[in-house]
Amino acid sequence: MTGWLLARGASETAPPATNPFHADASVVPVGRSLFNQHCSHCHAPNAINPDPSRDLRRLKLRYRENMAHVFYETVTEGRPTKGMVPWKGVLSEDAIWKIFTFLESVQREP
Amino acid sequence: MRRPGFVVAFAVLTGMLCTDTALAQSTTGWPVYGGDSGNTRYGKLDQITTKNVQRLKVAWVLQLGTLEAQESTPLVIGDTLYVTSSSGPKHVFAVEAKTGTVRWRYSPEIPADVQQTTCCGLDNRGVAYAKGKIFVTRLDGYLVALDARTGKELWKSQVVDYTQGAAITSPPTAVKNLVVTGFAGGEYGVRGYISAFDQDTGKEVWRLYTVPATGEPGSETWKGDSWKFGGGAAWYVGSYDPQLNLLYYGTSNPAPWAAVVRGPDSSAYGDFTNLFTASTLAIDPDSGKIVWHYQSTPYDAWDYDGVNELVLADVVVGGQTTPVLFKADRNGFFYVLNRKTGKLISAEPYVFVNWATGVDKASGRPIEIPEKRPRLDTWARDICPNLFGGKNWEPMAYSPQTRLVYIPTFNLCMDLAGRTAEYKRGMFYLGSEWDLAKVGPGGHMSEAIAWDPIKNVKVWGNKEELPFMGGMLPTAGGLVFHGNIQGWFKALDASTGKLLWQFNTGSGISAGPVTYELDGKQYVAVVSGRLVTPPSFLGHIGEKIFASSPPGGALFVFELPAP
Repeated sequence: MTGWLLARGASETAPPATNPFHADASVVPVGRSLFNQHCSHCHAPNAINPDPSRDLRRLKLRYRENMAHVFYETVTEGRPTKGMVPWKGVLSEDAIWKIFTFLESVQREP
Repeated sequence: MRRPGFVVAFAVLTGMLCTDTALAQSTTGWPVYGGDSGNTRYGKLDQITTKNVQRLKVAWVLQLGTLEAQESTPLVIGDTLYVTSSSGPKHVFAVEAKTGTVRWRYSPEIPADVQQTTCCGLDNRGVAYAKGKIFVTRLDGYLVALDARTGKELWKSQVVDYTQGAAITSPPTAVKNLVVTGFAGGEYGVRGYISAFDQDTGKEVWRLYTVPATGEPGSETWKGDSWKFGGGAAWYVGSYDPQLNLLYYGTSNPAPWAAVVRGPDSSAYGDFTNLFTASTLAIDPDSGKIVWHYQSTPYDAWDYDGVNELVLADVVVGGQTTPVLFKADRNGFFYVLNRKTGKLISAEPYVFVNWATGVDKASGRPIEIPEKRPRLDTWARDICPNLFGGKNWEPMAYSPQTRLVYIPTFNLCMDLAGRTAEYKRGMFYLGSEWDLAKVGPGGHMSEAIAWDPIKNVKVWGNKEELPFMGGMLPTAGGLVFHGNIQGWFKALDASTGKLLWQFNTGSGISAGPVTYELDGKQYVAVVSGRLVTPPSFLGHIGEKIFASSPPGGALFVFELPAP
């Protein structure tokens, strides 16, 4: 819900975020390592998280075509009341999208 | 000979000799987290035995009202039972210990953003009691005193600013006129401290930093300015010996996990031990100064926190009755120290250990196997135990009847690599990449063991399929009670480990059970409510854990029905 609101709020002011590495399989291992360094303490190594609320393999199921945008907004701005800190200024744009490219590779299909 | 003095002094400490009639029965209660100030968790009651435990039935249940991990140990003072829920705590309940009828409830508003700064679940392990007051610690870094009769807030003091990445998850320690607490935050680069507050006023009396600043003794064990964000958080419970007047606390891992920030990238770390992290501290409670320290994992690179509870006992060592403390360290070694001097008596592996060949008796240091130390951008593979440790916070217990320590152990291994870490306030400060989902030898993931702390042998062991089994309660009835992550609450024969009785509480059990007597009847109580966050670190094993029982939150109390 929060993600949807964030996505909607942002979409009124900025163009939707897109992944510059989309479908680039060579980026996946780099993204996986970055994910495991920065995200796995909450979201589990290799994104295999049994807790649905923190399982990032469900991004596509939840947000469909808005997935990239919700991901980017949530990572950069955080969701303070849900435990997500803002990563803007900590992770580079490049690293954020490499992590996303890894996550794209592990999405559950609808 | 020490024992009677210990008991009397302890009785004064916890108000057992208090003239208050409401407290007159507390000699048969559960006045402190660890059962006594030495954290033995031994239940002295013997109505429920190996012969009749099969008849044990539920007396009453209290719903705790939250679904995050339940890790609370209830206290029983007089005829009142005090128990906390997870998530803040969301609630502290005072209930009639005989029926579960709620007398009062304290439900503080905890800021929602504490989730960001709580590494491993929104847990609370219970409260402390002294002189008519209940002391509550909170995820937002506050310590609160409540009137034990009414639940009215008497004072509220800030222990630590939680927004830097700190949280308080464990009950404080009541010592004389003080209430003492540490806090969590070793994953966020806090600089740990233990602080003492006046029980009557809430004023801070002393503060002991567990990581020395430049120029202080021990500061030479840190590279550059790394001490500033050095960790060493005392996030679990303390122990107190009133006769020696020593307070004991363990300290967490140093921060960040990537050791290279704090010293050389090598097992030949020399003086870069990073004091006083991953250590046991003996503290003078009057001054707040360290009397002795013992560092179990110098220059830690494995997240082997040294926080596990110090269990105090007087045992015969080499023909001499000796005041000792036991610690089943995360690093896989079972330490027996003279608790007066800090001298090492023994340190032997109580689980499968392959990162060190043993502990050098002269230096007290583990003898490392260099390829098992993760270094910058270099993986160390199949390290046992993994960072949950041979044992985590789930409490062990010592029975003077069997002279055995009952330990809920893990059998998991890991791969770990150091990565570049930069400190940013309020963010994880790890510098690490890891895979914890590696099952140890034998294929089981945890085991309840009965450990002879003098001979250093396992007397019996019951293997469990999944990790995160619950804390232990040995009783004078010859039993050991414990739960598991599937939600089963079990009674075993303390001498053999044979399963005598079990009950399905419907959600995983991690907390330690307690026992108490009221109006001549013995009760056994345990909190149920499966862990949520730690299993998530385990990938497909975590999925099995989530499938094994739903989340929950309830206190179950058992009794023997009238025949």
